[in-house]
Parts: sequence; structure tokens; C-alpha cells
Amino acid sequence: MRELYTFLKHLLLVFLALATLLPFLWMMGASFKPNPEIERLALLPEEPQPRNFAVVLRLAPDSRTGRPMDFDFPRWYFNSFFVAAWVTSLQVMTSAMAAFAFSRLQWRGRDTVFLLYLGTMMIPGLVLTLPNYQIMVKLGLVNTYTGLILPMAFSAFGTFLLRQSMITLPRSYDEAAEIDGATPLQIFLDVILPLSRTGLVTLAILTFLGTFQSFFWPLVMVKDDHLRTLPIGLLSFQTDYGQQTELIMAATVMNVIPLIILFVIMQKQIVSGIQLGGVKG
Amino acid sequence: MKLQRHRTALLFLAPNLLGFLAFSLIPVLLSLAGSFTNWSLRPAAPLEFVGWDNYSRMFQDRNFWFYLYNTAYLMLALPLAIGGALALAVFLHDGFAFRRARRGARLGLGALVIATVSGFTLLLSGSPNLAYVTFALGGISSLGLAFGAVTYRTVFYLPHFTAGAATILLWTQLYNPNFGLINNTLESAAEALGIAYQGPGWLTSTRSLLGFLPLPAHFSNGGFGLGAREAIMLMGIWTAIGGNNLILFLAGLASIPPELNEAAEIDGANRWQRFRHVTFPQLAPTTFLIVVISIIGGLQGGFEQARLMTYGGPAGTTTTLSYFIYLQGFERLDLGYGSAIAWVLFALVFSLTLMQWRYGKRDGTD
Repeated sequence: MRELYTFLKHLLLVFLALATLLPFLWMMGASFKPNPEIERLALLPEEPQPRNFAVVLRLAPDSRTGRPMDFDFPRWYFNSFFVAAWVTSLQVMTSAMAAFAFSRLQWRGRDTVFLLYLGTMMIPGLVLTLPNYQIMVKLGLVNTYTGLILPMAFSAFGTFLLRQSMITLPRSYDEAAEIDGATPLQIFLDVILPLSRTGLVTLAILTFLGTFQSFFWPLVMVKDDHLRTLPIGLLSFQTDYGQQTELIMAATVMNVIPLIILFVIMQKQIVSGIQLGGVKG
Repeated sequence: MKLQRHRTALLFLAPNLLGFLAFSLIPVLLSLAGSFTNWSLRPAAPLEFVGWDNYSRMFQDRNFWFYLYNTAYLMLALPLAIGGALALAVFLHDGFAFRRARRGARLGLGALVIATVSGFTLLLSGSPNLAYVTFALGGISSLGLAFGAVTYRTVFYLPHFTAGAATILLWTQLYNPNFGLINNTLESAAEALGIAYQGPGWLTSTRSLLGFLPLPAHFSNGGFGLGAREAIMLMGIWTAIGGNNLILFLAGLASIPPELNEAAEIDGANRWQRFRHVTFPQLAPTTFLIVVISIIGGLQGGFEQARLMTYGGPAGTTTTLSYFIYLQGFERLDLGYGSAIAWVLFALVFSLTLMQWRYGKRDGTD
């Protein structure tokens, strides 16, 4: 009886899971459809057309115009990874250093400054975007990689997250290292960083995902096609190729697949990270 | 020695602190100050201090109230998303292990074999679509039977993890009133039953579930039905239900001592009573955290959907406060007014958080 109940529970969840995946299943199928087939109810194409991917990647000409697409999708792909990698490494580095100062070093005013950090975490990003954009205009960084990366490289949230994990480490580690004559830099690099690996990996994943998917900041920062990241590129794609759903879906598939792979590989760290941070993501 | 310590701390802090000052603290002050000026990028008038003008203009702006209403209306999806996540978490937490240790693995293998065989049969007999679904079902059920809750949690989390421009464009296609998957399915199903039925207009419609209310004329009320706002809410529920909320609820459930439920069971409490009087009160801190995060997110939400799906339309019905700020700041270049709206939004976020915090505290000490 109990076994049957367990089995029925599995059955229900399998169907719920299928319903969750249905949009993705449609997306995969649609990305292989020839244009006239898009309007049909069928999930799969009758005559699969892998060429859609080649067209989006500019390896084949667009069949409507007979020449390659105006957009540089491969470049957008590169930009997304490039910007996300820079933001992630800078943010993890600066956050780890600040978290070290907030958790392992004693100095006057420490808790006051930390409270200031916490306070700004409550402020909506929208409040900051308008003046930040003006600052970028003044610095001449609009429409540059630096402008895309720099303001995202510092995070109160990241500092908070890493401080929480560093503060739980026993003081005796630092003291032992100090007695052995280690400098603060050595303590930071050789003792604290290796012990905070979980926190660092969590922050790295969250930051990478957040930057890879970020929309507002690149939208206002980027003017030129060759600086676009994937989300912004998809927007112009939608505007100019709105009728060619199969191409949009091929582009979408190529945006989503790396994320699915990242998630399946890193799922353990992601789950423990969400529980650790409780916020963001 | 003491000076040395200060210097060391400052060196570690410096990179982050500089960035924090340049891109957080200074912008906050600039935007607060800017909200009291006529700050604009159309250099018609010199920069001037205008007192509370931007704020009084906002409260007289009919559109501000309309967009505030839209924001609040979209947030009506939050209880569904949170309640759904809770139900799913309780269900997933309940355990999926069969009593005999290897039975799950065997059943999983069985499901895989059945799905593969029937999938290929369907494929060869000319029903590729059914074969596709069968393979998907086989994949999920074999993994689910063999590995239990982890499999389902992974699948449910995917929409949240991949959420962004790509999934929004995907849903834009699903919602196409003429040939999107949703209306296509609804209309084909109706046709099979012999009913003439035209699916909802989704993103092209100003209808809403509260459309029967006597709303002001400029609220573009299209009457009762499913419209653009419902489309955005449904997509939001799909994204959120298995996302971080589910993971946080699962962590909360795992931290409840099992003795509590066992004791209640011995006292004769049924499933619902145990949930109502043991599990739910124990989860209160988690629920509280999730509600606060969701409200903060909801108040600031709707920008990507508006920009990618609807341009805030039709007739402004999907323009939320965040999209309104974007329009003022980046399209009309009226930075002073945009900043003032952003600060009112912040005040809303802040006061709701504070209220929740006080209320949540009282609730927790019960």
C-alpha cells in the first residue's frame, strides 16, 4: 500500500516535471523548424532544418535576403562570456579582500562601515542606474567594455556573503599562522581563502549567472552591435527578425544551453549557495 | 603596531571601498539630490533646485497611479508562486524512497526500457511528436525513480536558473494569439470537442481578471478576461515556483526536528493538522524571508518583460514602476523626475520591509 503511494507520488511529479519542461521542448523543436512549420501545433519539425543554427552563427546566408545576417551573433556570445568572466573574477577578488578586512582584521570603525554596506544592499538597483549612467558619461566609458564591467565589479552583497562564511572560521587558525610569522597577506592567501572555498564558488556562480543574464545595464551602456551581450542582442534580433521565429528560437537555444550545462554540473554548490545567501539569484 | 593594523585593513578594503563609493554611495547621494532638481539631459533650462516639485508632479500624474496599480496587480501572482513552492516543497520533502532499497532503481530501469521501446515504436510508426514526449517522460521518470527528489528539484529549478531575455522571448512565442503553442493547444482541444473557441489575446489584450472593477478610464480597462498582465504573471509563476523559494523551503523543512511531527502523529494528528500546527509554524522564519524577498523583487519587477515582450503595452497595461523609471530616465531624459520616482519606489520597498519585519517578529514569538 505504502509502495503504491510512493509510486503514485512519482507519477504525479513526473507529469509536473514534464509540464515544466514543455516550453523548453517546444523551443528545441521550433529551433529546427522551417519557417512555414512554426505555426503548426506539432512540437517537432516535419523536415528538420539544422541550417537555422548556421544562419544565426553567420555560417550560412539568410534565405530571405540571400546574404549573411546583419548581426554578429558569435561576437555577442563571446561578449557575454568575456564580460561575465571579468565581472566574476573582479567581484570575487575585491569581495574576498573586503570580507577579510571585515571579518579577520581588527580596526576602528569596522562595524560602522559594514553597516553602511548592508544599508546599500536595500537600495533598489534602479535608484543607482540613472546616476551611474551619468557617471559613465562623464568618465567617457559609455559604449565600452570597461563601462560594462567596472560598475559591476564591486558588490556589497558579495562582501556580505563572504564575510558570513569567513567569520565562522576559528580565530586560532590566524593566531597560529601569526605566531609562525605569517603576514596578513599570507594568512589571507594561504589560510582563509582555501577555507572559504564554498563561499567563493557560490559567489562566483551567482555573479557569473547574474552578469550573463543581466539586461538593464548593458541595455543602457551599449550602442554598437559589436559590444552587445546575448540578452541585448536577442532584443535587437526580436525587433528586426520578429517574423523569423525559428531563428530567434535557435538563438535562444544557444543562450539557454550553456546555462543548463552549468547548472547540471554545479547544482550541488548552487543549492548550498542559495541556502547560505538566502537572497539574490 | 596599531597604525600598522589600520593600514593593512585599509589595503585589503581599498579596491572594494573605492568601487563602493564610486558606484553605490555617490550615485545614491546624486540621485537623492537630483530628485529635487530639474536635472535633464535636454539642456533647455539650467540646472535648478526645484524643491518637492518632482514629487508633487508625480502624485498628480495619472500615469503614476496607473503604473503603480499595474505593479501591484502583477504582484498578485506572488501568493500563488510562494504557496505553490511551499506545497511542492512539502511534497518533495515527504520522501521518495521505496521501502525495498533497490526497488526504485529497478523501476527506473524498467521505465527507461519501456519508454525507449515504445518511443522507437512510435517513431517508426510515424508519430515523432508522441515519441519525443515519450522519450522525455522516460528520461524524467527513470531518473526520478532511481534518484528521487533531486531529479524533480533539478527540473523544477531550470526555469528559474535560465530566466532572462531568452526565456522571455520563448514565452512571447508561446503566447502568440494566432499560432502560439498555448492558443494552438486550447483551440485544437476545443475543436476536438466540437466547440467554437477563440483563445485569449494574451500579450495583445488589455483585459484582466480584475477587469470587472470600475477602474478609472485612463487605466485602459479592457474588461474581464485574460490579457497581457495575466500572461506575464503566468510566466512569472512558471519561473518562480521551483526556484530559490523551493530550495529555501526545502532547507527549512530539513531543519525541523522530526520528533515534533512524530509526537504529533502519536497524539493522533492527521496530515493537515500536522502541517497546520507543526510544520507551518516551524517554517515561519523561512516563509517570512521569502515573502520579504518576493515583495522587494515584485515592486522592482516587470522591466525586462515590458522591454522585451510588450513595450509596456497594450495601452500601458504592462508598464510597471521600474519600466516607468526607465522611460523617464532614458527615453525622455528627465532624470530629476525619474530619480524622484525611484526614491518613492525605494520608500515603498523600505516601509513594506519594515512592516513585514515587525509583523514577522511578532508572529515568530507566538
